[in-house]
Amino acid sequence: MQQYIVRRAILNIFVLWIVATLVFFAVHVLPGNFASQQFASANLGSVSPEAIARAEAVLGLDRPVFEQYGTFLWDLVRFDLGESFRSKRSVWNELGRAVPYSIELGVLIVLVGFTIAIPVGIISAVKQDQLPDYVLRGGAIFALAAPVFWTASIAVILVLQWDLFKIDVDGQPHLWENPKSALQWYLIPMFAGGIAGTATTMRLLRSQMLEVLRADYVVTARAKGLPERTIVMRHVLRNAWLPVLTVMGLTVATIIGSQIVLEQMFNVPGVGRLLFQAITLRDTPLLEGLVLVVAFVVVFTNLFVDLLYGLFDPRVRLA
Amino acid sequence: MTPPDASTALPFRDRTSPLTRVTSAAFALGRFLRQKKLGGFGLVIVLGFSVLALFAGALGRYDSTFVFDTENPNFKADPTVAELAEDPDIGSPRVVAQFQAPSGDHWFGTDRFGRDIYARVIHGAKLAMIIGFGASLIAVAAGLIIGVISAYYLGWIDLILQRVMDAIYAFPFLILILLLVQISEPSTRNVVFALGFGGIPFAARLIRSAVLAERGSEYVQAARVIGASDFRIMLQHVLPNIGAVLIITFSIGIGAYILAEATVSFLGAGPRNEISWGRMVSSGRGALDIHPWESVFAGGAITLLVMAFNLLGDALRDVLDPRLRGV
Repeated sequence: MQQYIVRRAILNIFVLWIVATLVFFAVHVLPGNFASQQFASANLGSVSPEAIARAEAVLGLDRPVFEQYGTFLWDLVRFDLGESFRSKRSVWNELGRAVPYSIELGVLIVLVGFTIAIPVGIISAVKQDQLPDYVLRGGAIFALAAPVFWTASIAVILVLQWDLFKIDVDGQPHLWENPKSALQWYLIPMFAGGIAGTATTMRLLRSQMLEVLRADYVVTARAKGLPERTIVMRHVLRNAWLPVLTVMGLTVATIIGSQIVLEQMFNVPGVGRLLFQAITLRDTPLLEGLVLVVAFVVVFTNLFVDLLYGLFDPRVRLA
Repeated sequence: MTPPDASTALPFRDRTSPLTRVTSAAFALGRFLRQKKLGGFGLVIVLGFSVLALFAGALGRYDSTFVFDTENPNFKADPTVAELAEDPDIGSPRVVAQFQAPSGDHWFGTDRFGRDIYARVIHGAKLAMIIGFGASLIAVAAGLIIGVISAYYLGWIDLILQRVMDAIYAFPFLILILLLVQISEPSTRNVVFALGFGGIPFAARLIRSAVLAERGSEYVQAARVIGASDFRIMLQHVLPNIGAVLIITFSIGIGAYILAEATVSFLGAGPRNEISWGRMVSSGRGALDIHPWESVFAGGAITLLVMAFNLLGDALRDVLDPRLRGV
């Protein structure tokens, strides 16, 4: 077990190194950089190449690519992500401001997603091929196809048209600072994101439940006269939700993706929005740092999920 | 037992006439539509959108960039300076027909610039189709090469290729696409390539496991015994037998690529100079309170087409290879 964890962790670090290299060369080898981007967006008309070169020299972008790559890797080994070109704050500092918002929103999205997906999956499986099943499956097919920015926009339209509630947000409050205001702010993005993330989980839970419902021990449980409720909750759900766990790992990547859109739409100063800014401005150190942190979260969530799998299901041996 | 007549048994040539093939294909299609109603529904919508994309000029009713104008209800022949300051358009008899609600003239209404939203939604189908098919084709082609090499040779080649795939997988798809599109010129071609690149790990993983399954089979061993080269085995023996997986991989990803392009365009990083549904949703957001129509219809088109491709892909998978359920 320990050996397995160590081996997987080393493989993950290898994967992160490939990620770092890919991002580094993608942003350094292709034409254009932070300096030229700044001049272009400042609309100064024609800028002399010397001015751009001077700006590049200040940022250290004029050095040979492999030298820059070497420094980048050496800094990485020491957990130094450098400082943002734009704000001049360290990338860790930027992350420290942004991560709490993203975790708040992310956790809310996951909570909404699973509170919808689990009952829906169970009902859909128990009422297989009856009206509730068709309706819920139809809803899942729709949720899988509808872009998150569209469902969020529709929600905004409905709130505006019917005056459902006042969005009265003062600044950018955290949940623990001003729960009421923060919840109003997060309400639409958390439901839009949750619904988008829920479809895959629901469909998988349904098909797993259907498989387990046909198992011999369920027949036995029925034969000895257990109430249907006990059978579903105790015998079926327990055995059906393990594969769902794996999907949770994959959902993390999807949720981070939809968070970029939602944070951008609702002005949440989280990692997604920061990442989008870093990409558009070509703020190289910030971009590299953020991508690495996101990739770290993704690969280690997957490892964590695999470990949980082994913990919950003794039949799964990790070696 | 009498030995089979050599003249009819050999050579193994496909003697079915073209007519038989057409009819058997038609029967297969009929069976597909009967068994997979949702898949058939998806197929009909996909075909419908294909027709709209191909004949957008004729079916869109209006030119997608034409600016409609309308009579100015507030028109005054000689406005005073104060009135002009309040309403700059007051002196002109006709104004841009912006933000019109759906009507007989404009089925989906008009946008901020007085353009017909219906025409723009229809023209937007072109980009969505090009993106969906193009990106999926690139992903499957590259995934095929990587998947076959990886599964056929195994060993350290497989190990390295798979870790590189893991690395691409570790980027959330959207971040990868945004990054690639932003550092290259955001043209349709580049967006197609970026999406296709992002889809490679998904395609390669499916194809790799299909090749792994074929690799150990008797006919591959037999080919190896008679001394066929690796290349010949892959091309002549393995490839024809993973056709179903290739079709599934191709069709099941299309919806995701269309969705990703819409998202990238919504964020303002999509192909320029093209009508994109994602960008329409974004531009409609400027006036959601008075005129939700542009966002509603453009987003509805995305949802409908993505849903159709997903349903069609799922149905094809169930028919061609039910073992792949759950991918």
